[in-house]
Amino acid sequence: MASVLEPHAAPVESSSPTVRILKQRLGGGVKAVTEFRGDLAISVSRQVWVEAARTLREHPELDFQLFLDLCGVDYLDEGSREERYEVVLHAYSVSKQHHVRLKAALPEQDPTVDSLCGVYKGANWFEREAWDLYGIVFTGHPNLTRILTHDDFVGHPMRKDYPTAKRHVLKRPKEWLLRVPADSEHLIVNIGPSHPAMHGTFRIQVLLDGETIQDAEAEIGYMHRNFEKMAESRTYWQIIPYTDRLNYCSSFMNGHGWALAVEKLLGVSAPPRAEAIRVILSEFSRIMDHFVAVSTNVVDLGAITPFFVVFRAREEIYELLEACCGARLTVSYVRIGGLAQDVPDDFEARCRKAITSVKDVTSQAEKLLTRNPIFANRFREIGVLSADDALSYGWVGPCLRGSGIPYDIRKDHPYSGYDQYDFDVPVGSVGDCYDRYLVRIEEIHQSVRIIEQALAKLPRGPVITDDKRVALPAKSEVYSNIEALMNHFKLVYEGILPPSGEIYGYTEAANGELGYYIVSDSQKCPWRVKVRPPCFNIYQAFPAMIRGGLIADAVAIIGGLNVVAGELDR
Amino acid sequence: MGYDPSVVGFLDLFRGKFVDPTWAGVHAGGDIITTRLDAVVKWGRKSSIWPMPFGTACCAIEFMAFTGAHYDVARFGSEVLRFSPRQADLMFVAGTIPDKLAPVLKTIYDQMAEPKWVVSMGVCASSGGFYRSYHVMQGIDEILPVDVYVPGCPPSPEALLAAIIRLQEKIQKGQQAKLPQGQDQLGAPGEGAIDRRARRQAWTRDDAARAENGLPPRGVLALRVLPQEEPETDSHHG
Repeated sequence: MASVLEPHAAPVESSSPTVRILKQRLGGGVKAVTEFRGDLAISVSRQVWVEAARTLREHPELDFQLFLDLCGVDYLDEGSREERYEVVLHAYSVSKQHHVRLKAALPEQDPTVDSLCGVYKGANWFEREAWDLYGIVFTGHPNLTRILTHDDFVGHPMRKDYPTAKRHVLKRPKEWLLRVPADSEHLIVNIGPSHPAMHGTFRIQVLLDGETIQDAEAEIGYMHRNFEKMAESRTYWQIIPYTDRLNYCSSFMNGHGWALAVEKLLGVSAPPRAEAIRVILSEFSRIMDHFVAVSTNVVDLGAITPFFVVFRAREEIYELLEACCGARLTVSYVRIGGLAQDVPDDFEARCRKAITSVKDVTSQAEKLLTRNPIFANRFREIGVLSADDALSYGWVGPCLRGSGIPYDIRKDHPYSGYDQYDFDVPVGSVGDCYDRYLVRIEEIHQSVRIIEQALAKLPRGPVITDDKRVALPAKSEVYSNIEALMNHFKLVYEGILPPSGEIYGYTEAANGELGYYIVSDSQKCPWRVKVRPPCFNIYQAFPAMIRGGLIADAVAIIGGLNVVAGELDR
Repeated sequence: MGYDPSVVGFLDLFRGKFVDPTWAGVHAGGDIITTRLDAVVKWGRKSSIWPMPFGTACCAIEFMAFTGAHYDVARFGSEVLRFSPRQADLMFVAGTIPDKLAPVLKTIYDQMAEPKWVVSMGVCASSGGFYRSYHVMQGIDEILPVDVYVPGCPPSPEALLAAIIRLQEKIQKGQQAKLPQGQDQLGAPGEGAIDRRARRQAWTRDDAARAENGLPPRGVLALRVLPQEEPETDSHHG
């Protein structure tokens, strides 16, 4: 079916320094360069894959230090392509503020490519995931085993020829992730997947010498519920409820990110009122998320009072969301091109009430925690990660800022009108748990500032774009006007039809950069959706962070990272 | 005969119906009451349920709101959350259960002491929800007996309170869900959900056969003080 919006991305002669330098270094290794919606994509041959990534990271003019994402794509029966698989890397340069997408095509008979583990630390789990889901083999990978699916799983489920609902039964979970070395009296302790300190379903096994952790190994995938596979058979609207369940502590922000990514793919934008409301509700969601992160973290350490204190304000925010869209937690309030409906008349009053409550409980929680010596002693100098390591693992959000890198997408690549608001980006100096806590608390204050500014100049007008190819007509029109009825029917029946192409849409979610890599073949369902989950990178560093520390500190560290299972395992 | 309203209320809870203060069970002006031991035990059980949250996903967040001060589950005697299955008699399965987690869930359920109940919170735990896919269990009743299903994605805390009340009614009546057929099997075979209709029919046949032999249907909790000579060993649900 032909695209209704815009034509294919055509190969371009790019003037970007990235392309120039890569061509200089690799010569014929660079196969093609495309630009679509401002996204630069460079295809290289798989022989120079590692060389290309190393150049991107280490060349001083490029400086792609921040590892974002690595994934596979299956182009089964896509006529125009010679090779079936593709491996895709996304990276970002904090100093130069530019993104890049590097791709290499892999043949069906031999989907093999060299591992990037030596270049980016964060590549390890991403390559395991690509092997697990697509069967792409990374030579030189230290531990290429299944990561999301279980050990008795047969096949690679994200391949296009794998049926969506074909399950495999797991008889026994894997018992040991570690081994006790011979001639030692060390002890293995298993924590999770069902453990109150594991905040969901993570599992970690530690090798203990006394109380000191000698070695640690994490296992994930206990919440792998196949968002990406489901998205391939859903229309762009139908995916919105699924995005709510990624980071369920701040559902609205995931939908916001998804809507922006699809709007980028379509080339449409939401009206100013919708953007302002999105900003307000996103910031409220950020506050809720930080509340959960901080309060459940200290519950694990034995302080239950802050939990009850901050959940009072969370209830207020829930009520606000419920008034807007009818749901408390999983809101599904955004639509492509705007919002589902306008906010209620007393929206501003409700917001002000929630803000008062947020300010109140935040100051109470700060009094309980910030200068509390027991809390500070448990948090200071614990779980330190250097800025270099944080970038190499692909850390983002409050955790990266805790390590001292002031990267905030709201500032560096403003979206939804964040450039109109005045706010600060807090950063830490040590990179320990205490810094991450302080960053979160300060971000709550900054979010309140943003909400207050947005409320003060909340524009009037429609809340969804009038582009008939994207937004449904008003119900009153549908009931009285044949054109609107046909428009409604066509849109529901055929869905939104984007142009073919691929984009990477990214927003600053509560845990950091939440990216959606969408490959569209101009059908109503996306060909491939890859979520770039902030938690995946963050949790990957966790075993390395707790090595050499005490086991009690591991519990303090994991809560401070705020890993959310729905987003980690998708 | 003396009449103390609180005693009447007490009796009322035991028997689940209004009891006349002049009823023969009230002695010595209300200081002593006689009733069935069974009724007292059930009353005690239903009023002090200790839940264990098996929280995995979004529902676990809403479960936190349910236990918080605003909704106050303490009114129903169920606020003592236990994270150890050995100290709990009710398991709240809150969230999606992927196949990788299924053996873990089953193990934890087996570690709970009898009598025990299960509430399936949300559509994912009840039926897989909108994740009909390669790695998600299509309802925990593939492997566990479920007493109360709570619909919603996630259910509101009010719905959970309703589930507690519903469960209290079941406990008062001595009911307990039946184990799924094929209990030794973890997860459904092949491609998708278990056949719940076939399972219901199998239960009905089983109950009819037991009735012919003068046995009560499975899933009925009966308190026995004296040892019985019936050959049956597992009286709860087998």
